[in-house]
Amino acid sequence: VKPAPFEYYSPESLEEALALLEQHGPAAKPLAGGQSLIPAMNFRLAQPAVLVDLNRIPGLAYISPMEEGLRIGGMTRLRALERSAEVRRFAPLVFDAMPFVAHLAIRTRGTVGGSLAHADPAAELPAVTLALNASFVLVSRAGTRSVNASDFFVGLFTTALEPGELLVGIDVPARSERSAFGFEEVSRRHGDFALAGVAASVTGDSRGICTAARVALFGLADRPVLAPTLSAGLLGARATPEIIRDAAEAASRADIDPTSDIHASSDYRRHLAAVLMRRAVARACSNLEAA
Amino acid sequence: MNIDGTFTFPGPRHLVWDLLQDPQVLARALPGTERLTSDGPDKFTGVMKVSVGPVTAASFDVSVTLADKRQPEHFVMRIQGRGRVGHVRGDATVDLAEEGADATLMRYSSQIQVGGTIAAVGQRLLDSVAHSMLKQAFDALEREVHSKVSTGRSTP
Repeated sequence: VKPAPFEYYSPESLEEALALLEQHGPAAKPLAGGQSLIPAMNFRLAQPAVLVDLNRIPGLAYISPMEEGLRIGGMTRLRALERSAEVRRFAPLVFDAMPFVAHLAIRTRGTVGGSLAHADPAAELPAVTLALNASFVLVSRAGTRSVNASDFFVGLFTTALEPGELLVGIDVPARSERSAFGFEEVSRRHGDFALAGVAASVTGDSRGICTAARVALFGLADRPVLAPTLSAGLLGARATPEIIRDAAEAASRADIDPTSDIHASSDYRRHLAAVLMRRAVARACSNLEAA
Repeated sequence: MNIDGTFTFPGPRHLVWDLLQDPQVLARALPGTERLTSDGPDKFTGVMKVSVGPVTAASFDVSVTLADKRQPEHFVMRIQGRGRVGHVRGDATVDLAEEGADATLMRYSSQIQVGGTIAAVGQRLLDSVAHSMLKQAFDALEREVHSKVSTGRSTP
């Protein structure tokens, strides 16, 4: 398990990195934490001719609370998210999800931008950003653009990132005071990719009526997906256990068509989705009452 | 891995039958096909390069043999693929039924075995990858049927 030969560049500025990516085109891959790319290279499943290492570029790792929300740098380590008081306060859903993301060693090295750009369909962070309606800041030599999470994940390991473009930051909108969150997943072993998982964001008014619900599912499609049927079932209602259960059941039938593999059949995944949606929303609602 | 399903082509059955047996059409339709040539009656060989996310270097030597043919409604594709990162072997049964004069319903069912590194590392993703490749192939075949049907109409 050694990689095929490749050229290695270690630029010290973003401009330099973008120039290298433009110069080498699709042959070049940016290297962030290397927790997916390097194993794929060592198995020779990936054989990029050029690696552009982002680790020496200053200013790409930060967690900044702003008035409009939380801004997180693309090269921020997952472990930094896990330990950040700002993340816990301003984006508790990210905090709740972190212990499920792989293992400590991987979180220590792995980055926010790397996980999102890799876009594994069973990864936690892409679904969390979708549930939080986050946007991604993409930079290339041609300029900067912002892409919403719902437009960013386009398919299996496929994102809106164009060749030569880097994901440099994530904007998580400021949370409403009347919103709360729930995160649930099932995996065969702790730290494995999830068989199925749910990240839920629920907003209620002072009378306990649900005014908004945004629920993202992962491990259940070729990318993280929203559960519109679940949101519709909760909207305008007081979220009793019966309403949550019925909406989750309906969403598990209408909003997903999961595939089978040796770990779980399609039917089992659908069952898990219903149970996890129910639990995640119930958790969010009870957090809401406690708030 | 079992892959089953149906797909409706917007064209008559004999046309769909011909397209499904034409290596040039299959080479255009199957994603990542670099070469597919006829290698004797009902036998095609070629090279396919699978590219999904981080996997960018999975090249396979493939051979496809058509068997059990009952024109224009039934055939079996015996598929073998071999590459440095793994191997693929399986049978796909295809049945074509007329749905009126201008549409053809294809039923397919296949049992595919995948082994080697690609199966060891990517087991949980094989199903999704297979489905996404099939969808691309069917969309491409549908376009082929469309273009054949419309050129057929324009020529007297």
